[in-house]
Amino acid sequence: MQEDRAFTELIKRHDGIIYKITRFYADDTDSQKDLYQEIVYQLWKGFKTFRGEAKISTWMYRVALNTALVHLKKKKKRGHRVSLEGVVLKQEEDDPLLEERLKILYTKIKDLGDVERGIIFLFLEGKKYKEIAAITGLSSNNVGTRMARIKEKLKVQIIKK
Amino acid sequence: MELEEMQATWSEMNDQLEHQRKLTDKLIMEMTKDRYRNKMGRLSRYEGMGALICFAAAILLLFQFHKLNTWYFVVSGVFTIGYLIVLPILVLRSINAMRDIDLINNTYTETLIAYVEKRKQFLLTQRIGIYLNFILLAVSLPVLVKVFKGKDIFIADSNILYWYVPIMTIFLVFFSSWGYSKYRRITASASKILQELDDTKN
Repeated sequence: MQEDRAFTELIKRHDGIIYKITRFYADDTDSQKDLYQEIVYQLWKGFKTFRGEAKISTWMYRVALNTALVHLKKKKKRGHRVSLEGVVLKQEEDDPLLEERLKILYTKIKDLGDVERGIIFLFLEGKKYKEIAAITGLSSNNVGTRMARIKEKLKVQIIKK
Repeated sequence: MELEEMQATWSEMNDQLEHQRKLTDKLIMEMTKDRYRNKMGRLSRYEGMGALICFAAAILLLFQFHKLNTWYFVVSGVFTIGYLIVLPILVLRSINAMRDIDLINNTYTETLIAYVEKRKQFLLTQRIGIYLNFILLAVSLPVLVKVFKGKDIFIADSNILYWYVPIMTIFLVFFSSWGYSKYRRITASASKILQELDDTKN
């Protein structure tokens, strides 16, 4: 019971992380809700064995990104099987300008590879190279190199358009 | 949109999301339990059902095995039963291997590598299955006719071979070429992921 309470508190405190990952990786609302539920489930599975060696938010980013990566690749051919009625997502305020800019952002990152997508997400979340390295399993130098390439790619996209 | 603009947009979205509280304890636990129940019933899905059908057919053939009274029927019967038992097990194992990727302790790149490797193993199993289907086509027909009709199609005056073999060959050629093109597409996508990981090392 106490463990369940600690878990729900954790999710409530950090549910923004899960929401943003679902929007970053999944295209439509159903897929976002499905991924959201899967991430919460994976976090619940891992919560019992979490030993606090990493910061809890770092651990959450890692599990959530791993889940998004694998779950959506498998999901493409399987469709949904679980009821999504109980999944309530956060929502940006009704701001057409922001919505439009977010749409452009999501379109841009779709052209990136899986590794780059993970890195740019963590970068936008304000993570330092060292923390991005801890979550992705790359070295800090590699993250830096990869970020420089991402910037180049984004510039090329603008020139092409 | 350049990186700086992306950061500004992201930060604006963060500000809007920060003060929203939509989740309750009950909702979180319901979501978790719902997903848990779904995972427990995963063998009832189509791959599990397919395996059960194959196992049932193998058991049925085993009970009728005494009717296979020549060496070529025995060899064909053994192959057919072996196929019906071993292939579904291999497919289920490779599917489970993909499901068992450690999402809790792996890093992002470790997860990506594990996914690509297990996906390749799964596709290899499927590919082997496609080739074995051709052999099954040749050996299962005489066995089934012998078991269920009591006839030896190599001796009895039967025209079944004239229509069954061409129809099944055409079906299998189409099915195999579809399977193979899918295999190549997924292998290409896996190579792309691995190349991206290699690039990162440079």
